[in-house]
Amino acid sequence: MQDVTAQPGTVSKLKPKRYKSSSELKKRLWRNKYLYVMLIPGILFFVLFKYLPMYGLIISFQDYKPYQGITGSEWVGMEHFKRLFTEPDFIKILGNTLILFAMNILLYFPVPIILALMLNELRGTFFKRFFQTLVYLPHFMSWVIIVSITYVMVTMDGGIINELLSYFGFEQVNFLLNPGWFRPMYILQIIWREAGWGTIIYLASIAAIDPGLYEAARMDGAGRMRQIWHITLPAIRSVIITLLILKIGSVLDLGFEHVYLMLNSMNRNVAEIIDTYVYTAGLRQGQFSYSTAIGFFKSIIGLIMVMSVNKLSKKMGEEGVY
Amino acid sequence: MTKKSFTLLLSSLLTFSMLTAACGNSNNGNEAAATKDPGTSGGNTTTAATKEPAPEPEKPTEIKIMLPLNTAETPPDTIKTELEKLTNTKLTYQFFPADTYEEKLNSSFATGSLPQVTYLKNQTTFVQMREAIKDGQFWEIGPLLSEFPNLNKLKPEILNNTKVDGKLYSLYIGRPLARQGIIYRKDWADKLGLQAPANLDELFAMAQAFTEKDPDGNGKKDTIGIVDRNELVYGAYKTVSAWFGTPNTWGEKDGQLAPDFTFPQYIDTMDFFKKLRDGGYMNKDFAATSKTDAVNMFVSGKAGLYIGGSMQDIDTLNKDLIKNFPDAVLDTHSMVAGPDGKFAQWMIPGYNNVVLFPKSAVKDEAELKLILGFFDKMMTPEVSNLMYWGIEGTHYTVEDGKAKPTDNKELIEREVKGYKDSVIGEAETNGMYLSYNVLPGRIHAEELILENVKVGVADPTAALDSATYTSKGVELQQIITDATYNYIYGQLDKAGFEKEVEAWKSRGGAAIIEEYNAVYKK
Repeated sequence: MQDVTAQPGTVSKLKPKRYKSSSELKKRLWRNKYLYVMLIPGILFFVLFKYLPMYGLIISFQDYKPYQGITGSEWVGMEHFKRLFTEPDFIKILGNTLILFAMNILLYFPVPIILALMLNELRGTFFKRFFQTLVYLPHFMSWVIIVSITYVMVTMDGGIINELLSYFGFEQVNFLLNPGWFRPMYILQIIWREAGWGTIIYLASIAAIDPGLYEAARMDGAGRMRQIWHITLPAIRSVIITLLILKIGSVLDLGFEHVYLMLNSMNRNVAEIIDTYVYTAGLRQGQFSYSTAIGFFKSIIGLIMVMSVNKLSKKMGEEGVY
Repeated sequence: MTKKSFTLLLSSLLTFSMLTAACGNSNNGNEAAATKDPGTSGGNTTTAATKEPAPEPEKPTEIKIMLPLNTAETPPDTIKTELEKLTNTKLTYQFFPADTYEEKLNSSFATGSLPQVTYLKNQTTFVQMREAIKDGQFWEIGPLLSEFPNLNKLKPEILNNTKVDGKLYSLYIGRPLARQGIIYRKDWADKLGLQAPANLDELFAMAQAFTEKDPDGNGKKDTIGIVDRNELVYGAYKTVSAWFGTPNTWGEKDGQLAPDFTFPQYIDTMDFFKKLRDGGYMNKDFAATSKTDAVNMFVSGKAGLYIGGSMQDIDTLNKDLIKNFPDAVLDTHSMVAGPDGKFAQWMIPGYNNVVLFPKSAVKDEAELKLILGFFDKMMTPEVSNLMYWGIEGTHYTVEDGKAKPTDNKELIEREVKGYKDSVIGEAETNGMYLSYNVLPGRIHAEELILENVKVGVADPTAALDSATYTSKGVELQQIITDATYNYIYGQLDKAGFEKEVEAWKSRGGAAIIEEYNAVYKK
């Protein structure tokens, strides 16, 4: 694109590729009509569920009263944002959110890649399919079930892990209520549930690699590890980066349900995140304006993160997501 | 080929999960929820709406009613048809699932589409609606009640609890004032030669004995005394705290209202639970235990005492327990004396839910009176029995002047439950049948519920208003809840707990105290 604007001469060269007349454009549109029809649900989805609700953001600058509506409620400017930033627990909550996010990126993100590489090395279709299905399955369980399973396993009131610990003469560990155990349990649950599902895209892009490359490498005497390092990984590099950018976009979306189910009075210091705070402070008390302001703040941070990572990846010579 | 269909499946799955995620995420999806409504409420909405309002008095009154539904499906018209015949009305019931009822309520309210009769969900939604009530969005009904002989029977003390700024806007759905107490393993107690605990020391001793003296006789130390859950109000804590003499949420101290956690009895209660937990006489993880898990521990024979909630739960607990232990015997108990030898029970304000009449839907006082006339008829034994118990012979039979529900629980659940939760008043005021109980523990529970009220402690702030409480109360209470658990688990000492109380005060609690006291004096 930059080249095009820099050299006026190239523009005219490009011109023939564009549509000379509107009739040609029409013909082109008509030829691909089914593709455009298929686009409609997607556009509708974004308009209905993503763009229209943005109108509601207005209430974060209002003292919103449901019976007066958006048009009738009083404007209060930045008051709700001020309340959020002056909240004594704000730094703690933001900190908890960012720590969980960092753990997600550092500890969870690489796992599906490694798992995909491992699955790819499996020989024998049956075993491959079997293990793939096995690691996909947890994804279909809801957090309620996963958290309940965890509870049953680690509770001090007869949970199997604590029973085993005391059987072997160790001291019982209070996994559920000890703040120190919240983060490890959180990330382990995510890995268990999502890692298998996360391999799908990687496996698909690995499948697209030209087998000739591997043959050539083998001829040159490259072992399995060498092949992974020099062929597989570089080939899926752009996929990894795209997914990383997307992941960072949801920077503060750590899964309300999951954290809320794990949250209790004893681990609140490390477990309260922005999403759970929105629930207790905002929605449970009908403070729509305040909770919208918090949600707005969260989205802005997400936007900034995506834009900067996207820029960074372009600088590193990779394609961004836009 | 298989690959292609798999991709197709995958992409449709992804799209689906995106859609569901989008629905779940949209906090401000009021518009979306509102557009969905006509579909949920079914076809009868439109048919009723198209008919002209009745000019002649003999013609049935048309009333639209919105209420929460605690079952999975909208009930069929069996009860409704009878109800219309008895009350000369043409009713349109709009049932919405109780889980999402608050959202529905807020969005209907925001779009001005509340029907003539609007049930709220519980006390909390009522507190949230107070501001709108004060703003004049609903009809005041207080001055009209005397015109209706049956509505006039509603208990004044409970009506008082539902007043907003001293005026009455709502009718209430009654509940026993104090249902809480102990459900315990009588077979274990008998085996160990224990009586129902008469005071707190005996309660502690029973918990200890259930833990240490092998009440199930399997030779293993695998039982505990009390099973509790992560809930300070409807779990064991508040009930025991009342026995210690702690006031109900707020109490008077030097002529001023003060929150319960500033009273020394609150600390005593925390010490009691700390001792129980340290000794292993209750479940160690109770701060992270859900109600389901707590109930499971009890019915699987691991625990001997279930405190809090409602003593009426004995029916369900017994049903599941005797599946596992056919010889188990349960009983209820609630009179546990405090350290000073006095009995006390905390009371709810006596209602479970209320009904409001929005001005946006009820045009004038004449229409309001027609609607109140319907509720007046609902308070007769004939109508309330129909709505609460169903049709005699089909859903229940009468034995000893009491209603005995049929064994076909699914039928009751499907046809009656939807209406059951909307009956105004209680058996004493609307004359409906009491329930015919077979289980001795349940019969005992019903007696105790009446006894509880005699030593009942009311929450003095039930009908009071505090702007700070409305906006920050729940959030602030969290500080105290967390501090209470931390104290019981030994993470906070008394000084640490008091520091948290100070934090509560400085972050808005002081304003709540001031605001409550300002209106309390009046």
